[in-house]
Amino acid sequence: MPDGRPSKTRPGQERYVARLEDTPLHDVGALDTTAPPESQWKEAWKQLRKNPLFLISAALILFLAVVIAFPGLFTSNDPTFCRTGKSLRPAEPGYPLGFDRQGCDVYSRMIYGARASVTVGLLTTLIATALGLVVGAVAGFYGRWIDSLLSRVADIFYAIPLLLASIVLLSALNSWFPDRGFWASVLAIVLALALFGWPQVARIARGAVIETKQQEFVDAARALGATPRRNLLRHVVPNSLAPVIVTATVSLGIFIVAEATLSFLGLGLPTSIVSWGNDISAAQNQVRAGQRLGTMFWPAGALALTVFSFILLGDAVRDALDPKAKKR
Amino acid sequence: MWWYVGKRLLQAIPVILGATFLIYMMVFLRPGDPIVALFGDKPVPEGTYQALREQYHFDQPKIVQWLLFLKGAVTLDFGTSFSGQPVIDLVQRAFPVTIKLALMALVIEAVLGVAAGFYAGMRRGKLFDSTMLVVSLLVIAVPIFVFGFVLQLIVGIKLGALPALVSSQATFRELLLPAIVLGLVSFAYVLRLTRTSVIENLTADHVRTARAKGLPDGQVNRRHVLRNSLIPVVTFLGADLGGLMAGAVVTEGIFNVPGVGNLAFDAIRRGETPTIVSVVTIMVLVYVLTSLAVDLLYAWLDPRIRYA
Repeated sequence: MPDGRPSKTRPGQERYVARLEDTPLHDVGALDTTAPPESQWKEAWKQLRKNPLFLISAALILFLAVVIAFPGLFTSNDPTFCRTGKSLRPAEPGYPLGFDRQGCDVYSRMIYGARASVTVGLLTTLIATALGLVVGAVAGFYGRWIDSLLSRVADIFYAIPLLLASIVLLSALNSWFPDRGFWASVLAIVLALALFGWPQVARIARGAVIETKQQEFVDAARALGATPRRNLLRHVVPNSLAPVIVTATVSLGIFIVAEATLSFLGLGLPTSIVSWGNDISAAQNQVRAGQRLGTMFWPAGALALTVFSFILLGDAVRDALDPKAKKR
Repeated sequence: MWWYVGKRLLQAIPVILGATFLIYMMVFLRPGDPIVALFGDKPVPEGTYQALREQYHFDQPKIVQWLLFLKGAVTLDFGTSFSGQPVIDLVQRAFPVTIKLALMALVIEAVLGVAAGFYAGMRRGKLFDSTMLVVSLLVIAVPIFVFGFVLQLIVGIKLGALPALVSSQATFRELLLPAIVLGLVSFAYVLRLTRTSVIENLTADHVRTARAKGLPDGQVNRRHVLRNSLIPVVTFLGADLGGLMAGAVVTEGIFNVPGVGNLAFDAIRRGETPTIVSVVTIMVLVYVLTSLAVDLLYAWLDPRIRYA
């Protein structure tokens, strides 16, 4: 000590100064500033490619897509060709999973049932996400009375339980169109589920937008003269998409389950349409009687595997888009 | 804080008004005349028809019908069902059963979900953790009525351990199996939520501080990790009570539970507006009040949160 006062530092407690090589400052100097900036999405894709969960779920979903596009590749049987003589008979050559109560081939119905279930899930997710994103982004970005108004509207749709609301709406829609075809029935369910499913997305989008709009790069864009509209569309929304995409992936699975539940309640797709939900609910009498459990197991298993893949995909995407959450 | 409660209750008013209006409009979308449908194939006597129309206010414009419902609802007069019983009586009989069922499901999912999630989070990446993650995903992926049938068959019929169907008494023992089925999906969510939250809190600064000051591990885990991890779980459980009551439509159907789920489903099939709207209104009220209660619980769980 220069002024001669006794040092407060005891031996072993001297101030330690790290060498530059050992500090994060050194890395700053080592950064290659000429390299092009990596976008969040590229970074996420790099992460995803290495994630086994993503690879498994992506492979399952690709396989599912092939099944839906070309069901004929997997079975040559007609799922609507049923013989009462074969009712509840066990497996035989060409019919590996046996027959259901109506004497239809369980295996080919499982293959063809994918189309209706996944179409409902995909369309509902698309519509609910698009609607929720627009409402949530506008509410979060413009704030004030627009936010209060849109949030209250979302609250109204959110406060009625999804299942109950879609039952009420579908019971009305179905009585208008008693003999509806594939698309009319699919669209009715999509409408009912999306109408009450969007507030969930809107809440998440609103939260993400509010968080993003407070960041510096948004201020920078505004300072450079970007109009609020441009700022919202070019900067805020793209940077708020991550949580919305994760929610969408998971809710796709949830909507597929909801479709099956509606079919079980007799309000989903008409029984003339081959779908997992219809087959599962048709099998309930066998399960109650404890015979030929396979009639429920196979369609339910296919549905569960599909939902499982989408939830896994959602988890993997979340890990990739939010590296912080992964490390924790 | 009272100011906050008041503000929230005021905000709930447009939500309740809007939700009942929405349900009214959806019920009116149904084609045909519910009174004619009530008589089936038989011709409807003109006098009776007019009397019924007036009794159910079907002669009024739709918006007036909604306003009349609201006017009655304020004095707990929810109108009469098509079978002539006051809706309030039907609801009074069915509602306690569903509340009992939903609360049982809530307790089951909360206790098991938090316990399993806490244990899995503390032993992250171990066998128990991985098993629980797969189990929870499967529970979410399989439609709930499949579990309903399978458990009813195995536990109720094959093993005979619990009653497979519920009588009009709806005793605790009878409701146990439906409550397990009803709470199953939420159990998976609670488990996953608790697990993530525990993992997050294990590396939090306050936990490190608690360990550094020499608190025993058990106390740190209980008072610092678990208690802080409960915050998101409590939110979920609060919002879930409404969801459980709606999910009861399916569970009550399978196990023949005489609750609001069955009441609502039958009413929807008959197009019985007063009953449908009353049940939905009650569910919306439950949702609004529980989410307010949850927000207030926050302050108790996390003293950093203050209400303005």
